[in-house]
Amino acid sequence: MQEFKSLKDIPEQDYFTGGSSACAGCGPSLGLKLALKVLGPETIIINSAGCMTLLPLYPNTPLKASWIHNAIENAASTAAGARHGLDVLGNGDMNVVVYAGDGATYDIGFASLSAAAAKNERIIYICYNNQSYGNTGFQWSTATPYGSETKTTPRGKENPTGNTAVNKDMLKIMGAHRVYAATASLAYPVDFLNKLGRAKERDGFSYIELLGACTAGWNYDPRLTIKISKLAVRCGMWPLYEIEHGMLNLNKDFSELKPVDEFLKMQGRYRALPPDGVERLQALINEHWAELKEYNKQRYV
Amino acid sequence: MKQTLVTGNEAAAWGARLARANYIPNFPITPQTECIETLARWSSDGELPGTFFDRMESEHSVMSAAVGAAAVGSRVFTATSSQGLLLMHEVLYIAAGMRLPIVMATISRGLSAPVTLWSDHNDFLDQRDSGWLMFHAENNQEVLDMVLQAYRIAEDPQVLLPAMVNMDGYVLSFTDEPINIPSPEQVAEFLPGYDPAHTIAKNRPVTVGPPVLDEYSIFRAQNHVASRNALAVIEELQDDFEKIFGRRYHLVDEFMLEDAELVLVTQGSMSTTAKAAILEMRDEGIKVGLLRLRVIRPWPNEAVAGALKDAKAIAVIDRNVAPGKGGIMFPEIIETLYNLDRRPLVSGFVVGLGGNPQTENKIKEITHKLEEDLAAGRPRMEWNDLEGI
Ligand SMILES: Cc1ncc(C[n+]2csc(CCOP(=O)(O)OP(=O)(O)O)c2C)c(N)n1
Ligand code: SF4
Ligand SMILES: [Mg+2]
Repeated sequence: MQEFKSLKDIPEQDYFTGGSSACAGCGPSLGLKLALKVLGPETIIINSAGCMTLLPLYPNTPLKASWIHNAIENAASTAAGARHGLDVLGNGDMNVVVYAGDGATYDIGFASLSAAAAKNERIIYICYNNQSYGNTGFQWSTATPYGSETKTTPRGKENPTGNTAVNKDMLKIMGAHRVYAATASLAYPVDFLNKLGRAKERDGFSYIELLGACTAGWNYDPRLTIKISKLAVRCGMWPLYEIEHGMLNLNKDFSELKPVDEFLKMQGRYRALPPDGVERLQALINEHWAELKEYNKQRYV
Repeated sequence: MKQTLVTGNEAAAWGARLARANYIPNFPITPQTECIETLARWSSDGELPGTFFDRMESEHSVMSAAVGAAAVGSRVFTATSSQGLLLMHEVLYIAAGMRLPIVMATISRGLSAPVTLWSDHNDFLDQRDSGWLMFHAENNQEVLDMVLQAYRIAEDPQVLLPAMVNMDGYVLSFTDEPINIPSPEQVAEFLPGYDPAHTIAKNRPVTVGPPVLDEYSIFRAQNHVASRNALAVIEELQDDFEKIFGRRYHLVDEFMLEDAELVLVTQGSMSTTAKAAILEMRDEGIKVGLLRLRVIRPWPNEAVAGALKDAKAIAVIDRNVAPGKGGIMFPEIIETLYNLDRRPLVSGFVVGLGGNPQTENKIKEITHKLEEDLAAGRPRMEWNDLEGI
C-alpha cells in the first residue's frame, strides 16, 4: 500500500461517525476512528468486553463496518474463527481486526492472544491500552504503570505508591512470538496508520498496541488527549518502536527524553505520588529507553 | 443395509464429516479425544474438503472461535467433555444468544473434584439453561443420526439455535457398535448446505453481540420461543429422515409403556441395560416399561406427560446429582406431571456417578423398590450408590 507521508494524505472518509456513548476526548475511540480509515468498511472488528463495547448500543451503531462482541477473554479466538470461517467460504479479502483493551489483552485474554499469534493467524490485533480496566471504573491491570493510582491500587497510609507492580513488557512478549509487533500513538497518526497499512498487507498475525489516553481514568481535561499522548512518547513512557523477525526498530528517536514529571503532573492518577515513586518510575523508563537504544536495528528477542 | 463397526466418538466424527462442517475448532479432553483425532486424520488425508480443522489452546477458545466462524456463515462442529464443557460455559450462553446454529458433540464425564474419567451427566446437564438445544443419544447409531438431525433442527429458520448431542463417555465413546453410515448423497438430500440469512457479508456490515437496554428480555424471550419451536421441527423432519435413512425418532423413546404400571425414566446408554432388565422382569410378570429422555431442551412436556400419565408409579433414574437437592431430572418429571388429573407416584434414584456401572440387577432393584413405594403409597428420593459408605 501507499505510505502516508503527512496528515494531509490520511483519507477524510470516516467509518466511525457520531453517536457513540464514549467519554468526550476518549483516546481509544479516536484510535478506532483512525484505524477504520485504513481498514475500510469490509472489516470485521472483534471487540473484547470493555469501554469500546458500548460503541454500538442496540439498535444503533456509529460504525460502518461489521462488529462482533463475544466476551472479554476471547477476542483473538473469535477472530481466528471468523478468519477461517471467511477463508473457507471464499471471503478471504475481508479484514479481521481485533480491537481489545489492555485488560483483555495482557490479562484475561492472554492465552487466546498468545495462541493466535503462535499460529500466525491472518489477524490484525490492536490493543488500545488505557492502562487499566477502564469500563469497570478504572481498576488495576498488568498494563497499569508503576505509581499509578487506580480504584484497586488506591494510595493510602500503608501504600503511598498506588500500583507497586511494574507493567508487563507486552511488546517483547509479542515480538518473541515471531510476529510483527509495534507500539503506536494518537499523537503520531501517520506512524500509526502506516503500521496498520503494513499489517493489512501481511499474510500473518500483527500486534499493534496503541496508547489510549483515557480522560476519565487518567483524570485530565478531555482537551488534552493528544497533548498527553505526545508527552508520553517524548518522555519515554510510550516509546514508538516495532519488532519484526525479532529485530528492533525504534521509530521515534530522541537525543534526550523529557522528564516524566511533566507527563505525571497533567493527570490526577499520579497526584500525590511521592518523590521516591517518581524517581523509581523515571529509573524504569530510563532503563527501558536505554535497552531500546542499545538494541535498535538489532536482534531484540 | 451395510453395517460398520464404529465407536461413539467416530460416529460423531462421521456426523460432522457427512454434514460437511466448514470449521472444526478443537481441544483434547478424555473421553472426547478420539473424535477430534479421527477428524484430524481425515483432515490431514484430504478427506474433509472445504473444512478447516483448527487446534485451539482451550475449550473457551474453541467455543469462541466457533462463534466467530458461525457469525460469518460457516457450519461449525466441535466436541468436548467434562471440564472442557464447563470451561465453555460462558460462551455457550453467548452462542445461543447470538442464535448461531453450532453443533457440538458432548461426551459425558463426571466433574472434578475428585477426578474421574468415567461418565455421568452432570457436565451435560450443567448447560441446561444455556439456551442450547440438548439431545442425548442411547447408542452409536443415534449419535450419528442425531448430529445430522441436530444441524437440520439448529439451522431451521424457526429455530436458529446451537445444539448439543450427548453420549456417555466410555460406554459409547470407546465402544464399537455396528451402525449404518449413510452415503454423502443421502445426507446431502436430508441436509442441504448452510445458507444463513443473517450473517456478516462483504457488502453488508452487521453488528453481532451489542449491549441492549430495555430490549434484553425480548431477546431472551425469543431464545425461549425459538427453542420451543424446535419441538415441531423435530417431529416434522422424521418423515424425511425415515424416507432417506429408514429410521425415525420421537421426542421421547417409549419402551413397553402400553400396559406399564411401573415406569423407569432414564437417559443415555443405561437405557439399553434397563430395557434388557425390563424384558426379563416382564417374563416374571412385572408390568414395567421405560421412558427414555432424548430431547432435554426444549423440554417435550406433552410427550413426557402423555407417555407417563397412565403409570401407577415412576422411578426417575438420574445419572447426575444436584448436591443438597437430588437428581436433576427428578423435579422436572414431577413438574411435568403435576397438573394431570391423576398423578402417578414418583420416586427418584441417583445412580451411576463417575461411571459406577448400571447393571441389570441394579435396575431390577430399583424396580422392586418402586413396587414397595407404590404399595406403601410413599415415594422416595434415594442415592443408590451409597452402599458400604
Ligand atoms: C469474565 C469477565 N470478568 C469480568 C468482566 C467485567 N469487565 C467488563 S469490561 C472490564 C474491563 C476490561 O478492561 P480492558 O480490557 O482494559 O478494557 P477497557 O475497559 O479499559 O476499555 C471488565 C473487568 C467481564 N465482562 N467478564
Ligand atoms: S473511560 Fe476512558 S477509555 Fe473508557 S470511554 Fe471514557 S475515556 Fe474512553
Ligand atoms: Mg483498559
